[in-house]
Amino acid sequence: MESNARVGVFICKCGDKIEPFIDLNLLQDKLLKDQNINYCEIMPYSCLKPGIENIYSKVINQKLNRVIIAGCESRLMLKKLEKELEPLDLKKGQIDIVNIRGHVASVSDISSAMKADKSAKLIKASAAEMVSLAPTIQSLARIEGPVMILGSGFASYTAAHELINNGFDCLLPSEIIESDFIINNLHLKYPGEYVYYDKLKLIRKELSTSKHVSAIPPGELIRLSGVTGDYKLTFSENDSGKEKSYKAGAIIACIDSDLKATDAEFWYDGQKVICQTEIEEIIQNKGIQEGKVVFWVNDYEAGYPEFSNLSSKSAWSMAKHIRELHNRVEVIILYNEQMQIPLSAEERSIGRKLGILWLPYDKEVRPSIQEGYITVCNIKDHVEYDISWDYMVLSPERKLYGNTLKTAQILGLVHKDGHFLAGRHVRVRPEMVGREEMYLAGSGKYPCNLNDALAQGYKAGKKTSEMLQKSKACELYLPRIVCAVDPQKCVGCGMCQELCDCGGIGAIEGTGGGLPRIVDPMICTGGGTCAASCPYHALILQNNTTDQREARIAALSRELSGSEVIGIACAWGGLPAADNAGAKGLKYDPRLHILGVPCVGQLDPCIFARAFLEGAPGLILIGCNPDECHHSYGIDHAGSRVTIIKKLLTMCGFDRRRIALAHADLNKPEEFIRTIESFTKTIEALGPIERNSINISKLESIYGLVKDNTRIRHLLCANLRRPWEHSYKGEPRHALEYDRDFSDALTEELLNTRVLRLLRLYNRPTMLQELSSNLMVDKKKVGERIWDMVNEGRVQYTHKDSEPMFIAHA
Amino acid sequence: MIKFKINDKEVQARSGWTVLETARQYGIEIPTLCFHESVASSGACRLCMVELREENWSKLVASCIYPVSEGINVYTETERVQNVRRWIFEMLLSECPSSKEVKEMAKKYGVFKTRFPVQNPNESCMLCGLCTRVCEEVVGLSAIATLDRGVHKKVGAPFLRPTEVCVACGCCVTICPTNAMRSRIDSVRSNTKMQLAKAA
Ligand code: SF4
Ligand code: SF4
Ligand code: SF4
Ligand code: SF4
Ligand code: FES
Repeated sequence: MESNARVGVFICKCGDKIEPFIDLNLLQDKLLKDQNINYCEIMPYSCLKPGIENIYSKVINQKLNRVIIAGCESRLMLKKLEKELEPLDLKKGQIDIVNIRGHVASVSDISSAMKADKSAKLIKASAAEMVSLAPTIQSLARIEGPVMILGSGFASYTAAHELINNGFDCLLPSEIIESDFIINNLHLKYPGEYVYYDKLKLIRKELSTSKHVSAIPPGELIRLSGVTGDYKLTFSENDSGKEKSYKAGAIIACIDSDLKATDAEFWYDGQKVICQTEIEEIIQNKGIQEGKVVFWVNDYEAGYPEFSNLSSKSAWSMAKHIRELHNRVEVIILYNEQMQIPLSAEERSIGRKLGILWLPYDKEVRPSIQEGYITVCNIKDHVEYDISWDYMVLSPERKLYGNTLKTAQILGLVHKDGHFLAGRHVRVRPEMVGREEMYLAGSGKYPCNLNDALAQGYKAGKKTSEMLQKSKACELYLPRIVCAVDPQKCVGCGMCQELCDCGGIGAIEGTGGGLPRIVDPMICTGGGTCAASCPYHALILQNNTTDQREARIAALSRELSGSEVIGIACAWGGLPAADNAGAKGLKYDPRLHILGVPCVGQLDPCIFARAFLEGAPGLILIGCNPDECHHSYGIDHAGSRVTIIKKLLTMCGFDRRRIALAHADLNKPEEFIRTIESFTKTIEALGPIERNSINISKLESIYGLVKDNTRIRHLLCANLRRPWEHSYKGEPRHALEYDRDFSDALTEELLNTRVLRLLRLYNRPTMLQELSSNLMVDKKKVGERIWDMVNEGRVQYTHKDSEPMFIAHA
Repeated sequence: MIKFKINDKEVQARSGWTVLETARQYGIEIPTLCFHESVASSGACRLCMVELREENWSKLVASCIYPVSEGINVYTETERVQNVRRWIFEMLLSECPSSKEVKEMAKKYGVFKTRFPVQNPNESCMLCGLCTRVCEEVVGLSAIATLDRGVHKKVGAPFLRPTEVCVACGCCVTICPTNAMRSRIDSVRSNTKMQLAKAA
């Protein structure tokens, strides 16, 4: 907790949008009474030049180091304010915007005094969070060359070229630079891309003579350790079998997918019915002088309609080549009628001039091949007819396997879902993306043509150069909101690494278990589900910590009365839906108090427990639809964490409906309103939780349990894997069985916690009977738990009149 | 401090402020449409016109981009200003007749119908460009643009197909003053896991 936080609140009148609806003077009075708030002012417009200049001077005069704007949508406005106030050294997290315009002023018809009251609650909660923020120091990222370019994909050429042009050193596999072998086999990865041969050969020559390039002898990557700026890559050399390590500041993975011939399912025989890569070889070696070549773009039938564009483009380019060389050869491209021909108007006219025929066929009837003929169905009359051929050319299958796949695995690029490496579904604003997009280039990322692959390589080289340049100029800072591991607390269980989807978590040395983990701040996207799951709180999301969230929700919960509820809304689903409801003037139940968070998946369950402990009668989380979650599985993980609270509420005799998870779409504010109104009705019917000592002690136990019980936190974490996910290591357990065991463990640990709490409170030898009646739990059950804890050494016992007496271990 | 007058009232501003910013600081209302506090002004819609008067001349300027200067005389409600405003509202009523928001605002300024021909009765976008500006300046992307489709411009993703560039943050929907982006966003954003299924 930073004691020298000085919080200033600037309240917007915003013309006719806030002032007429909220009693701003009353609001100001209330805020000035709050111990966390040092300064408060009402302003016409906080966000226009006059307002910003005023805030600027107040920050200086009043020595403020936290600024809260009581205004409108932080999604739109925060960036501008952060930028304008940047010279004041207010960093991310030190400026907050509370949307009183869209979440209070316009959304209900309660009196302006009541709206002032509601606004005050939200702003005070924000102030509480700001006070508990302990900003990390801004540290420079040091990244120096060389850059390791791995994977031997074609993007290596453009990536390396860009780097050496910027004067940076790179390490490249020797096969890439020492001969034209790779380039001569271009067609195996990218058939039909003749135009690039010369260009690539030129680049290769340049690379081979550049003083910035060093070659790595042929070998296989076997280990990677370290983080951006300080990588160690170990190879096993092909010739000697010896291990050799290299240091690198950055890595660019240039990986192309492999093209394979389809199997007999498509009559492939490797002689006359062949794959695109093979016809290209024939064209290059002996050429085709006559006959009829039929390209069948069979991607729809092979189950990959999304690649039909690529395949047909390659087919077209080869067809063009064939016809340009020998106009006696007849060429036909057969395609499923669902496909769109991927040609520009100019290419179409070239194709017409060359006499290349594009023939669509009926999507309902799968073509079939016999010797010399292919039978297809006419799309107009649905009559089948035959087309003769001398060469039948099929689309390739695109795959990653063998060494390429292994390299990708070691680099942590292989994703749970999908066959290609572009499986990351973190979809956030560019400043939140780590190095992900520049890390990887080539068709291994996702099938693409050579032009795209080379462009990706170029971009990777450019972005890496920019990063190195910035670092050189001492202008490269580590992002503010990223995870960090406390090596003192981390036991190396590896849970976080399994859950993290951005690939930023690694072990300090090597890949094994038991080693403390380390986060690469240049890759972490700040999603934070990993931090919320660490059983030991060893992993925290810096400048956006669980402590901050707890402080905010606790402050708000303490102020709620009657059946007022909290809605935690995520920045991609719930919050924009709420913002849009507000901006469009929709009305809803004023008892909902909205807190925005980047992702509901970054909330530790102890935050939920804290809300109830501090007096909230209900808590609803409003995230995205699971298919649209922007931080991979954040919303699913939040679901598991809500479930544990539900279980505990039920076990303690509270209604489990007091906490709920809901989903919202930013574009459906009306449905968002239905969601929250159904929840406020539920809570209204339940009423507040009575604040008697037994209830409070139960709520304290729930909170203590989810926050500090490592056994439960461990089980919860393992429970985040869903039954339909198959990519985790080891045999998954039956989900329902697991859940039953989990409930049993919860029951046990909950009672343990309650007993211990009471013993600590009494701090004197206590009899079983007294414990049992105080907890209102059957004596036998309490007995079981307490003897267990005696065995574990958590409780000591003595005898008095031959009755055992218990006392908590110091 | 720069001193000048708005509606004969003495006001003070600092260099770099616009006339609109100064007016708002003094609680003087000037209607705007293509202006939003979170992005740079573009001066496209001209609804925020005010009149500058000297002894023997006067001119209309867009207050959202016009910088303040010493001694100018600004009038926000002259007949000329009101005429232009009416004219702009009539234009808007013909260009985006289906926007409830535009209709309401026009009504507030006494404009109920238009003399101009209605091109497309279902159009609600007024091409103010706020959506593309917020996407670029605030989100940091260029998922949408004003597309030139012959005579008729349109806002949307390239080829009007869902684009992977869009991160579906919804800032464009929130900022859109006519609500047009609401019906358009689904042709811009693409579903995250749909892309995944493609990769699977
Ligand atoms: S920050 Fe938002 S609420 Fe405040 S004055 Fe600006 S537009 Fe209005
Ligand atoms: S989950 Fe926590 S304890 Fe386990 S490896 Fe990660 S940081 Fe370490
Ligand atoms: S969609 Fe909305 S914000 Fe975008 S140009 Fe049209 S009216 Fe303006
Ligand atoms: S939703 Fe898409 S188009 Fe709209 S602002 Fe966000 S990124 Fe841009
Ligand atoms: S608001 Fe000034 S030109 Fe549109």
